[in-house]
Amino acid sequence: MNDLPTQRSRERVTMTEHTTTDDVLPDEGTPVATDSVDAALESLDSDGLEGYNYAYLDEHTKREVRRSVLKAVAIPGHQVPYASRPMPLARGWGTGGIQASLSILGPEDTFKVIDQGADESINAANIRRLAENTADVPTTTDTTEADLIQSRHRIPEEVLTDEQRLVLQVPITDALRTVDPSDAANRRRHAHKNYGKMWVHLYENVVEYGEIKISSRYPTMVAGRYLMDPSPIPRWDVPKLDHADHLTVLAAGREARLYAVPPHTEVEPLAFDDRQFTVERFPEQACHACGSTDTYLVEVSEEATEDGDNAFETRYACNDASFCAKRRKNPDLPKDHHLEEAVDWGPGTPDAPTDDAGTPVEQGGAGE
Amino acid sequence: MRALGLDPVHDTRRTFDGLLEAMSRPGTVHAVPAPADHAVVATLVDHEVTLATDDETLRAALSEQGRLTRAPYGEADIVHAREHTDWDVRDCKRGSLTEPSDGATVVYRVETLDDDADGGTTLGLSGPGVDGTTTLSVALPEAELSALAATHSDYPRGVDAIFATEDRVAALPRSVPMEVV
Repeated sequence: MNDLPTQRSRERVTMTEHTTTDDVLPDEGTPVATDSVDAALESLDSDGLEGYNYAYLDEHTKREVRRSVLKAVAIPGHQVPYASRPMPLARGWGTGGIQASLSILGPEDTFKVIDQGADESINAANIRRLAENTADVPTTTDTTEADLIQSRHRIPEEVLTDEQRLVLQVPITDALRTVDPSDAANRRRHAHKNYGKMWVHLYENVVEYGEIKISSRYPTMVAGRYLMDPSPIPRWDVPKLDHADHLTVLAAGREARLYAVPPHTEVEPLAFDDRQFTVERFPEQACHACGSTDTYLVEVSEEATEDGDNAFETRYACNDASFCAKRRKNPDLPKDHHLEEAVDWGPGTPDAPTDDAGTPVEQGGAGE
Repeated sequence: MRALGLDPVHDTRRTFDGLLEAMSRPGTVHAVPAPADHAVVATLVDHEVTLATDDETLRAALSEQGRLTRAPYGEADIVHAREHTDWDVRDCKRGSLTEPSDGATVVYRVETLDDDADGGTTLGLSGPGVDGTTTLSVALPEAELSALAATHSDYPRGVDAIFATEDRVAALPRSVPMEVV
C-alpha cells in the first residue's frame, strides 16, 4: 500500500525530465519511438494471426472439447458440459459451433457454414473466414463437397452422407426449458427419463389449437432415452436426423454444453397416436426463383414494383440458398443427385410419393 | 507430446478424427498415428482429468508437461490398460444418473482388431451408430468383454471402451448393446 504514492511521484519526476531534454524540436514536436506502431502495422499484414495455434484454439481447449464430444456421442442426446472458452465473437453467435468445428477440422477437410440456409450471411462468412485463416481449410458453399458443415438452424436440403459431419449451433440446450425454467429440476427429469411435463405441454397444444403448434426446437426423443432440443431447425428438418448417415454434433457456447446424434440413431419427434408429428406445409406455393415445391420455403416480403396499390408483395423462396442455385440451373435435380442409391431424406423427396410430405393430419395452418 | 513421437497438434487431431469415427460408428476400425494407445491418451488426457496407467513412458511424458494427475483404477476418468491385470473394469467409474458423462473411458491396448483378430472374441453389436447389426473382433478374453458389457447394465451410467492396436482404433460406447457371439 505504501508503495503506491512513491511510485507515482517517481513517474512524475521522469515525465518532467522528459520534457526538458534536448529532443524537443521547436516545430515538429517530440520524436516518438515507433516500435509498437510498427509491430501493430506488421501484424495487420499477417492478418494478426501470428502466435495463434493451429485452428485458433489452444490444444488444452481442444482436448477438453474433444473429450466432451466423445462422451456426447457415447450417450446420444445427453447434454455434456464443457468449458466454452471466450471466442472472438460474443457468446450466442455461434461460439459453441465454432469450438466444436475447430476441434474437429483438419487441413484435409472442406468446411461449409450456413446461417438459416444462407452461405452468404455475415455471421456465416466470418466463421468460414476464421476457419480458413487459422485452420488452413478449403471452404465451399456446395453441400455435397463439404466434409464438415456448421449450420445455424437448418439441415441442408441435399442428402448428407456417411462421410460428412454436421455441427449445429444451439441457443437453448434443453427441450424441457419450455415447460420448466429450473435447470436443476430438468436435469433430474432427464436422469429419470421423466418427460411427463412435456407430454402435458403437447396435450395442451392440441386442446388449444387442434394440433401441436411448435414451429422450431421440436422436442425429440433420441435413441429412446433422452429428450433432445434439436436446436431451432424447422420441423421440416427433424425427420432428417432419424437414422441419418451422418454424425450430428450440437454445441451451445452460451450454455457451455454439447450433445450429439450418432449416425443410424433413432430420432423420434414427440407426438400422439391420433395427433401425429407434421412438418410445415406450403400449399400451392413454389420457390419464386427455382420453382421447387419440395424444399423448405420462407416468406419473402418485397416492395412491389408495378402495382401501386399494394406496397408489398409476398413471395416464397427456398431457404437453402446453395441448393436453390443448383435448382435454378437444373429444376429437376433430386436431393440425392450425388448418391448412387436413392435415399429418403426429409419430407417431399422427389422420388418418394408426394402426398404433401406425408401429413396425416388435416387441420389447416401453414406453419407459424 | 514429442516425447512419445507424436506431433502435439496434428497427430492428436488425426487421432481424435479416428476416435470420433470409431465412437460414432461402433464396430468400425480406423487408422490413427502410432502407437495408437499412446496417441489416444495424449489426445484426451491433461491435468483436468485423472489417469490410471502402469505405462512408465506415458506417465513420464505427461508428467513432463504437467498433464498427469494419477488416480487408482476405480476412480480414474481415463484408464489405460496395456495388459489386463489385477483390476476389474466393473469397478471403474460409471458416472451418475444426472451426469453419466462422468463415467470412465477405458483405453485397451490390444494386439489385433477385427479382420486379423485370431483367437479374439467376436462381439455382435446393434444400436446407435450401427446400421442394423455388425460384428467386431477384439483380441481380449471373453470374460473381459463380458465384464465390460456388465458396466452398461444401468445405462446411461457406464464405461466407454476404446481398443487400440499399434496404429488402429475401434470403440464401444456404452449406448451400444453387445453380446459375445
